[in-house]
Parts: sequence; structure tokens; C-alpha cells
Amino acid sequence: MSGDAGRPSSPDLSTRVGPLRLENPILTASGTFGYGLEFAERADLHRLGGLVTKGLSLEPLAGNPPVRIAETRGGMLNSIGLQNIGVDRFLSDVLPGLKDLPPKVIVNLFGYARDEYVRLAERVDPYEGVAAVELNVSCPNVSKGGIEFGHDPDILAGLVRRVRSATGKPIVVKLSPNVTSPQDLGRAAKDGGADILSAVNTFVGMAIDTATMRPVLSTVRGGLSGPAIKPLALRIVFDVAREVDLPVIGIGGIETVDDVLEFLLAGASAVQVGTALFRDPRTAERLVDGLRERLRAEGLLSVASLIGRAARPE
Amino acid sequence: MLDVQPLPLPYFLLRVRVAAMEPAEPGQFVMVAGANRPEPYLRRAFSVYDQEAAADGSLVVSLLGKVVGRGTEALAACLPGERIPVLGPLGTGFHSVAARISGYDGSGSGRAALVAGGIGSAGLGLLAQALARAGRSFDFFYGGRSAEDLVEAETFRRLSERSGGRLMTTTEDGSAGERGLITTPLEAEIRAGTGYTTVCTCGPHGLMAAVAGIAAASGVAGEAATETPMGCGYGACLGCAVTLKNGGYALCCRQGPVFRLDEVAW
Repeated sequence: MSGDAGRPSSPDLSTRVGPLRLENPILTASGTFGYGLEFAERADLHRLGGLVTKGLSLEPLAGNPPVRIAETRGGMLNSIGLQNIGVDRFLSDVLPGLKDLPPKVIVNLFGYARDEYVRLAERVDPYEGVAAVELNVSCPNVSKGGIEFGHDPDILAGLVRRVRSATGKPIVVKLSPNVTSPQDLGRAAKDGGADILSAVNTFVGMAIDTATMRPVLSTVRGGLSGPAIKPLALRIVFDVAREVDLPVIGIGGIETVDDVLEFLLAGASAVQVGTALFRDPRTAERLVDGLRERLRAEGLLSVASLIGRAARPE
Repeated sequence: MLDVQPLPLPYFLLRVRVAAMEPAEPGQFVMVAGANRPEPYLRRAFSVYDQEAAADGSLVVSLLGKVVGRGTEALAACLPGERIPVLGPLGTGFHSVAARISGYDGSGSGRAALVAGGIGSAGLGLLAQALARAGRSFDFFYGGRSAEDLVEAETFRRLSERSGGRLMTTTEDGSAGERGLITTPLEAEIRAGTGYTTVCTCGPHGLMAAVAGIAAASGVAGEAATETPMGCGYGACLGCAVTLKNGGYALCCRQGPVFRLDEVAW
């Protein structure tokens, strides 16, 4: 500690997430912040611990037909369908503008087949600006691929093993909440060679328009996100962090400093903020400031000292 | 928030002072929510209906709204002095698109038809002002179910007459103006050879689709200010897809909300 005696030093917000060292534990979640750069005018990217890109596929995808979103109590359903510019355009047009910014860039990858994940990992592997890859094996909004890999432990372990051989980058596996035991999938990801788990993706849900008497979303089902899912996500993070020997990034309805603290105490080493960015694009940087203030006010020295405390015996 | 002016129910006019906001172009919008309310979760998109730069550098923005659900209810219930979040101006408005097609900046010739359905008139407020200011003549076609839906008729009468044009109104129940749909006088005026070079519309999907058909049949270029459910309003959630004729999708909040009439798959 370098602070003068009698003057409280600034709390240490940095966190180690497996092989990743982040300046602070606040990241933006995939699919909620584009590719980062396009929101430089609406948010201060410099203050984020990291950002996770919109899911990238080998070829650009147009996404699902409208209606793609439906607001619900305490959140929203989405069925965007992985609309994205494709990995090559991201690497050539976007990454150069991101790579010199402080936040760690985690590239979210999506494929319809195992081989596509491998090729995506190979494609991003040479780029220094990519801090890690996050495998989207749990998107509820595409008819095939993705989700299949995230619901069967053997298939998931096999997929991660193949990606492991294709890249030296840290591998994050984003877990689905739509399974009986997410920790089993987490263990499978570890067996395959994953470095980090992120939990959780959206919960499958639906909404019906009582005027038309038809489902609201064009795809009928969509992924539920927002504060409504926070307790559900927190429980999964708690279980996964206790039962799987890998660092966890917590995701699910995080909007306030208390939410961040809860996920850290449950065992997350960092968190991703998603749907709350739609309400206010500055949510993530506000949480960085708010977390620092809160730790200082409570006399807590570091984020690291909080991780998993709720799981330890009193 | 300065005040909420009650208009005939379910309409309201909300005026809010924004400390640092660029003036909106015609057709641009803001995302707003009620003060300190956790619900509804997402902000709501509102066209900037009117705006005025204040002496202190702030911008006073007027939003013309209609209570249709939880979001608009919360806004209509705002109290003077309450702080509400305002994000904007957002999207691509009439100005950038319309200027390319035929110009309403005073440089072009010809006349414009503005076609509003009910609360869609909110999306045409700044455009009508810009046309009147530039001395470009326009007729304003204002349709609604009933007389109270023509909530800003006097404003648009004044602006259109100042430009050398006029206001035409219809209601489905005949309580104001001609009984029927607003597309009927629009078609009649076009047939009569009024020389419209631009038609701009904002209203229910069915109205905008009908206007697109009329414009195509008569060879008039035009634009529509569209509306879809929106998550964020600034291009992050990708939720507000509008289907285009070429089979692709465009984001209502970024490439739109104003699109060329001939590029949208109505």
C-alpha cells in the first residue's frame, strides 16, 4: 500500500480471472454493446475492465425477422438471431480501433458446427488485441448449432478440446442456464481445456400478444434477460463457482453495485453487464465508480478479497 | 422536466429541458423514461416534436405522446421539476434523406405532402417547421379515428398555411373533417396535379404502407418515419429490425427511423 498514513488508499479493483488480469471486474456482455467501438461517444470505454463482442460467426449473419424483442416485467426477451458482421470484418475494421484501449477485448464466437468454432478460433488466434475467446454454446435463438454444444457434457468437452488445439488464447465457455445442472457442463468445459466459465446466458421464455393472440416474437421463444433473472443467475454462479475448479464471470441482470457485490461474493471473479446498458449506455462505467466508492466507504481493500466469501463457512 | 401539458385524453405534451443536447433534425428521436421508476424496464422512443434553444445553452424539447401502455403512462404522470433520463438525438431523420431526394432546404422546387395518422403527427412536427421556415410549400394531411386524434391540427394548419399550403383532415367516424381515410384526399390531390415532389408520412403501419403504394403509383419519391419496439435506441441491442425490400434488415434506430418509402418491405 502506498497511501500516506491516515489517508485511505484507493481500493484495488483489479481482478485475476484465470490467465486474464483485468483493471476492474466490470465487463460488457456479448450482444449488448455491439463491437464496442461504435459506442465510444455514448460510453467511456477506457474505464471498462473488458468488453465482450457481439457473437461473431465465419460469415456475416442477417439475424431473425422482426419482432425480435419483447419487454417483460423486470427485463426483456430477445431473439436477435446472432446478427453480426462476420469475424473477418471484425478483425480488419473494428479490432484495430479497440486494441490500444485499456479494456481487455474478449471475442465471442458462434458456429453452427464444431469445425466452425475451430476455424473461428484459428482466425482470431494471431491477433494480439484479442485477450480471450468466449464460446457461445448456449444461444437459445438459432435453430441449430450453438445450444446443442452447451447442453451435452460430452459434446461440449469435445468441442472445447478441438478449440483448445486451435488457439493459445484463454478460452471462456459461456454456460446455458437452460439445463438441470450447469455445473456438469462447467466440469465438461474444464475437462476439454477451458480456462474460464461465464454464467449465464439468457433463459428461454416467451410472450404472447393478447390483442393478436399470437406469440410476440417471430421465433416464438426468446432469451430472457434483465433484473428478473438475477436471483436465478446468482444461484447458478454460486453452484458453478463452488463445484468447478475454474474462475467464473458472473452474468445476469446486473445493474447496481449491490448486484456486482452479490456476484463477487457468490464466487464470480468478474461480471458482465448486459441488458442494463440498453436502459443506460453508461451503466458499466457507473458501476466501476460506484464499486470503488462502495469499497472505500466500507473500508474494503480489494475486489479480490470479496470473491467467493458467501460460500465460505462463517 | 418542465411541465406536462394535458391535451384531450389520452394525449399529452411533455416539455423537458436537456442540459447538453444537439438540436434534433426532423424525424430524429430521443429515448426517455419516467423519473426513478424501475418499471417499465426499457426507455421509450419519442420523436422530437418541437425544440427550442434556451439562452443558457440548454435545449427545451417537446414530446407529443399518447398513453398506450406502462411506459407512456409513467411519462404522462411525471411531475414538473422531476429529473428524467433523456438520450438523444438519435437516428436518421428526414433532413439527411429528404434533402438528397428533392430538397426542402429552399434550393429545390416543387411541393411536399405530409401525411400523419393520429399520434404519428409527432414525427412530422420538426419537418413541418423546417419546410415552413424554408418557404417550401406543403399540404398537411391529418387523419384519425376521431376528432381528438387530430390533437395538433391547429399547429399544422398554421404551419402549412404559412408555407402556402393547407391542412386537410379526415376521421373514420366523421367527427372532424371528411369522413373516411386520409389516403382519399391524398390520392385526389395527386390526381388533380398538385405537383408534389415529396411525400413524407408517419403513422400506423397500414397508413404508411398505403402512402408508399400511392407514392409508387404516382411516381413521387417519399419517406416514412417508422416505428418498431426498441430496446436501447442507439444500435446496441439490434432488436428494432425493419425488413427491407431487398430481403435484408435495417435497424430502425440507426439507419432509420426514417426510410425511403420504396426501400421498406411494407
